Amino acid sequence: MKKSSLWVLAALAAVLVAGCQNQRAPAEQAVASAESTLTGIRDAAMHYAPEQLQAVDAQLSGVKDSLSKGDYKAVLAAMPALNTAINNLRDTTTAKQQEVSAANDKAKDAWGPMSADVPKMVDAIQSRVDILSKSHHLPKGVTKDTLAAAKSGVDSMKTAWGAASKAATAGDYSTAVSQGQAIRDQASQVMQSLGMTSS
Amino acid sequence: MADEKNPAADNPYTQTHLVQSGDTLSKIAEKYYGDASLYTKIFQATRDVLSDPNKIRPGQKLRIP
Repeated sequence: MKKSSLWVLAALAAVLVAGCQNQRAPAEQAVASAESTLTGIRDAAMHYAPEQLQAVDAQLSGVKDSLSKGDYKAVLAAMPALNTAINNLRDTTTAKQQEVSAANDKAKDAWGPMSADVPKMVDAIQSRVDILSKSHHLPKGVTKDTLAAAKSGVDSMKTAWGAASKAATAGDYSTAVSQGQAIRDQASQVMQSLGMTSS
Repeated sequence: MADEKNPAADNPYTQTHLVQSGDTLSKIAEKYYGDASLYTKIFQATRDVLSDPNKIRPGQKLRIP
């Protein structure tokens, strides 16, 4: 090879290396920025959009792999898609957070009357069960089995009500109302079985 | 849960009975409890309406705890 050709090759290699080095800092900075943004929303995303988070993590992992191999061009080429994915993840997480928060606010409104109402249903049943337990003959339509089921029903309703109240105290009104409604339904059935619904 | 002296009084879920002609507390107790001797339970829950368990009038609304 001629001496001049060697010089040309050396110059081209130098240009290439310089070019790569020029892309290294922006590539590293872009990955660090993306990681930082993702860290900021990770906990919420894990709760509200775990599958989407997993996909973004896979994307980030691929970009970091390119970075570790020194393929800065590939890193920079992949960044727009990764940033879009992170932004979409943040939007999804925020929307779901707002949705859950709105549902919880609505449940909180329902919990107020429910927390006064359901214990009174259970009290009324408890009172009737106590009296029927002292009766020598059960009224028409009520059997020993019905009464036994009502007794255990009262116990389970009280236990379930404790759990519902605990959820409300913790601020989880959606769970509290859902459990409270189940107790209300059970109480209605027990009242009906004991003939407490008609005068 | 509620622990007032007469919890049936302010409980909207306490059953009620509208007194008909010929009713007695014993008959009402028989109907709801299957045991006439438990009429005192109704009397205790309805002390604000009744002063004497032997004196009930048609149209009175009695609590059946």
